[in-house]
Amino acid sequence: MHFVVCAKQILDPDTPPSAFKIDEAKNEVIPAPGIAPVLSQFDGIAAEAALRIKEKIGDVKITVISLGKGSAQAAIKQVLAMGADEGLLLEDDAFENGDHYTTALVLSEAIKKLGDVDAVFCGRQAADWDMGQVGLGISQLLDIPCAIIGKNVDVSDNKMTVERVLLDGIETVEMALPAVVTVSNELGEPRYPKLQQIMQAAKKTVTKWNLDDLENLNKTDVGEAGRKLKLEKLFIPDNDSDVEFIEGENAQEKANNLVAKLREAKIL
Amino acid sequence: MNQSKKILSSLLFIFDKFWMLGLFILTFFSLILSGLLLGFGIEGSSATREIFFNVEPWPIYVLLSTLTGLLLFGILRHGSLWFIGKPVKDLKVNLPWRLNNAVKLGVMQDKIRRDTYASVMHWCITASIIVLTFVTAQVALEDDTPLHFLHGNYYLFFSFYGDLFGLIGVVGISMALYRRYFVNFHRIRWDERLEDHLILWGLFFVLVSGFFVESFRISITELDSYPSWARWSFVSFTLAVFVDLFNFSDKLLSNMHVFSWWSHVLLVFSWLTLIVFTKLDHFIFAPINAFLLRTDSPGRLSKIENIEEQEVFGVGQIQDFNWKQLFELDACVRCGRCTEVCPANIAGQPLSPMHLIQDLKAHFNETAPLVQEAGNNGKDVRAVAKRSMVGDVIKEEALWACRTCGACVQECPVMIEHVPTIVDMRRFLVMDKAKIPATAQAALENLEQRGHPWKGTTLERTTWMEGLGDVPIFDGSQEYLYWVGCSGSLVERNLPITKSVFGLLKAAGSSFGVLGQEETCNGDPARRLGNEYLYQILAEQLINTFKERNVQKVITNCPHCFNTFKNEYPQFDGKFEVLHHTQFLDESIKSGKLKPVKSIDADVTYHDSCYLGRINNEYDAPREVLNSIPGLNIIEMDRNKSKGLCCGAGGGNMWQEEIGTRRVNHVRSEEAIDTGASELVSNCPFCIQMFEDGVPAVESEEEGRIKPFDIAEVLYRSIDSSSEEN
Ligand code: SF4
Ligand code: SF4
Repeated sequence: MHFVVCAKQILDPDTPPSAFKIDEAKNEVIPAPGIAPVLSQFDGIAAEAALRIKEKIGDVKITVISLGKGSAQAAIKQVLAMGADEGLLLEDDAFENGDHYTTALVLSEAIKKLGDVDAVFCGRQAADWDMGQVGLGISQLLDIPCAIIGKNVDVSDNKMTVERVLLDGIETVEMALPAVVTVSNELGEPRYPKLQQIMQAAKKTVTKWNLDDLENLNKTDVGEAGRKLKLEKLFIPDNDSDVEFIEGENAQEKANNLVAKLREAKIL
Repeated sequence: MNQSKKILSSLLFIFDKFWMLGLFILTFFSLILSGLLLGFGIEGSSATREIFFNVEPWPIYVLLSTLTGLLLFGILRHGSLWFIGKPVKDLKVNLPWRLNNAVKLGVMQDKIRRDTYASVMHWCITASIIVLTFVTAQVALEDDTPLHFLHGNYYLFFSFYGDLFGLIGVVGISMALYRRYFVNFHRIRWDERLEDHLILWGLFFVLVSGFFVESFRISITELDSYPSWARWSFVSFTLAVFVDLFNFSDKLLSNMHVFSWWSHVLLVFSWLTLIVFTKLDHFIFAPINAFLLRTDSPGRLSKIENIEEQEVFGVGQIQDFNWKQLFELDACVRCGRCTEVCPANIAGQPLSPMHLIQDLKAHFNETAPLVQEAGNNGKDVRAVAKRSMVGDVIKEEALWACRTCGACVQECPVMIEHVPTIVDMRRFLVMDKAKIPATAQAALENLEQRGHPWKGTTLERTTWMEGLGDVPIFDGSQEYLYWVGCSGSLVERNLPITKSVFGLLKAAGSSFGVLGQEETCNGDPARRLGNEYLYQILAEQLINTFKERNVQKVITNCPHCFNTFKNEYPQFDGKFEVLHHTQFLDESIKSGKLKPVKSIDADVTYHDSCYLGRINNEYDAPREVLNSIPGLNIIEMDRNKSKGLCCGAGGGNMWQEEIGTRRVNHVRSEEAIDTGASELVSNCPFCIQMFEDGVPAVESEEEGRIKPFDIAEVLYRSIDSSSEEN
């Protein structure tokens, strides 16, 4: 079997608020100096899901694909160290500044080109823009089924079983392969790689494809040119909050005063 | 009262320090005394005895040779197993240091003196065995060689000290018996075995039977004819007088003598055979292990050379240890000292260093012969172990509970080093098996990705500088690099510490700079958590930065950074002069550059962080800084200085969930609260965090909670800040 894990490298969501800056004129996030990008957390979990199945059924090849600049190799290497077999980087200036649609488009074309893919694992959303669209987009473009927000994924007898996290419970769905699943954090932490694997991953070469390698795509389909989504305004919201300590002789009085205030503010 | 206590303690100290010397002085004076007695014409010039007057001695020599043979064979046979281990790296010759250790720690038993009762007891027993061996040897020489010297006054003196040390031995054994049977749940009973009873009772009966032999001989040969000789053997003489009351016939007495003589001899030899089978071997192994003691700092963990080419990372099987680590297992006497002081054990967490060593030893005994055999037959040595050592024999949670605080190493009377052994197994877990507690894993991942262990911090490395005006960036022109560290810059609570250190450096007029955004973790947490690979990457990176910036001297307010720079970076060719901020502050106060002028009227207690105190031996500088502050009074906790208890954060436990009945920081906070002090002063940002967390958990706010502070914060309050501008 052949699984694909989609991995995105993102600006570190753990960036301290004071270092998080936006260029409002260009509608862009300014990468904080000295803070390296990281693998999107949910993609690590997607890789974990794929690896668990590989461990169970054996005979699975896992290819990790990333769309991004050369530095995205780090994300690929990380998943390779976890135990994936091959890495594929989709890198082209034309791919830059795309949206979820162009990303799904390029990824799906790459998956098509790989040919024999049985299952695609994505994170439930990228931890930077939190759109949660790419997995669904891939399934749409490849015309295969998709289950989102899975907390448990299993593959057997040519079908994929996914336990999905719903607001009010859990739903189990079955899909015929090939299929796409987006994986949620309920699945568990991504594994810590063994040193042996880290060193093997470091030695592996990551295949690179650019626009020319994906025959069906033109320059105008991808990246900025192909965007379907227009970003109107990017800004950091004002987040003012007032703190008021409720005075009072004892707990009861404090509670009374609090209730009075809440009423005043028409919250109660 | 105080005075007499002082005198008593200094007497004890002298006794403690110089008991060997004391022994010689005692012997010397006794010799002079006997000479004097001779001068006064006291009868004795012809005193002597026929040594083996009643028995045939040759079987003893047969027994003795058999025993020696057995002993040698046993040790060699077993000893060959140690060498299934790896070679010991960095074993420097340094003979004077080694001999000094062998004498000081091995023969003079320096470590045992940390427990006064044990020191008296153990001294009595050792001294008695040494002197009585000497006595016996003289008897043998007298009887079986042409040398004859046991007569006259020396004979009388010989009789005297023979008895005296016999008695001292009985006193020692009695103390031991008392502690073994009458003290509730003493540490020596945490892993009690049959051999412990055998060794004690064996020696007891050896000594007692010796007195009986002597008393029967005295009854027969001296009591009536030469009572004034007999009196010199004062214990046996008393016993003989008692035996005499029964009016036994000469024949019976003579038979009783033969019987007791043989019993004594058999007892002695059976007791000596215990060396081969029991912990009694410690009297050979302890001095040897002292001799083998490391020559570098205990704060240094071993470097895995060419880490990328290793087949196994860390220690996963018994033969992955080095031979010294295996040898050490055999030296352990199950005394429980290590476990008694282990913070994890004190807090009821699943780690007891004694049991860890003993479990490894049992595993060694079971597995080493198989490994040796497989090795000899060219088979796969990794396939022979019946149980997996890391995980089965030694539980993972035990390895993770260790604080690398070194308390066990400090106490161990036979100089076992638990910490490297524990970390070696952690290395295996992390690098080979990738099995690691989730929270520690998060810290490691954060180190990899963000260069600091504080996942989710909202601070930047420069946040602390806000409002401080110009903070000089180190560019090689300044004397000192002030290394702030991840904890000093990224943890909210510690910013005031950093600011205080900064203020003090300025007030002292020193030339310094900081690295600001360029600081990255020096790798200590990775190394302690067992990820040596990551440590080496981080360390090499930072050493490069230091060298590029031409850093020569570093001041840091984190003892972990201090230890890493000072003791571990030289392994990677990073040699810098490193000062802990308390050392710098102490120097600055002494040279008059800093003047604590404002009085702080407070009782404070001082907590020695493990990595400044026990591991780097700096107890005085911080105390002197505190003492220089007018009005300030230090109240020591019961466990202080080298006996100090860890705050709980060490060994990467800052980033782990604790399992067990209690948390170490709660225990230590309680100890601080018990002093009644109003401030709990330490020298380490981790300790401070642990106490900020621990104190509220054990002391209610109404009681006027003790407040944790770093020394720098306290001192800064006492400095006249107007002087800062100069
Ligand atoms: S180093 Fe400290 S925590 Fe670890 S075993 Fe020794 S005493 Fe216990
Ligand atoms: S390791 Fe040392 S301190 Fe611990 S029980 Fe053994 S001999 Fe005693």
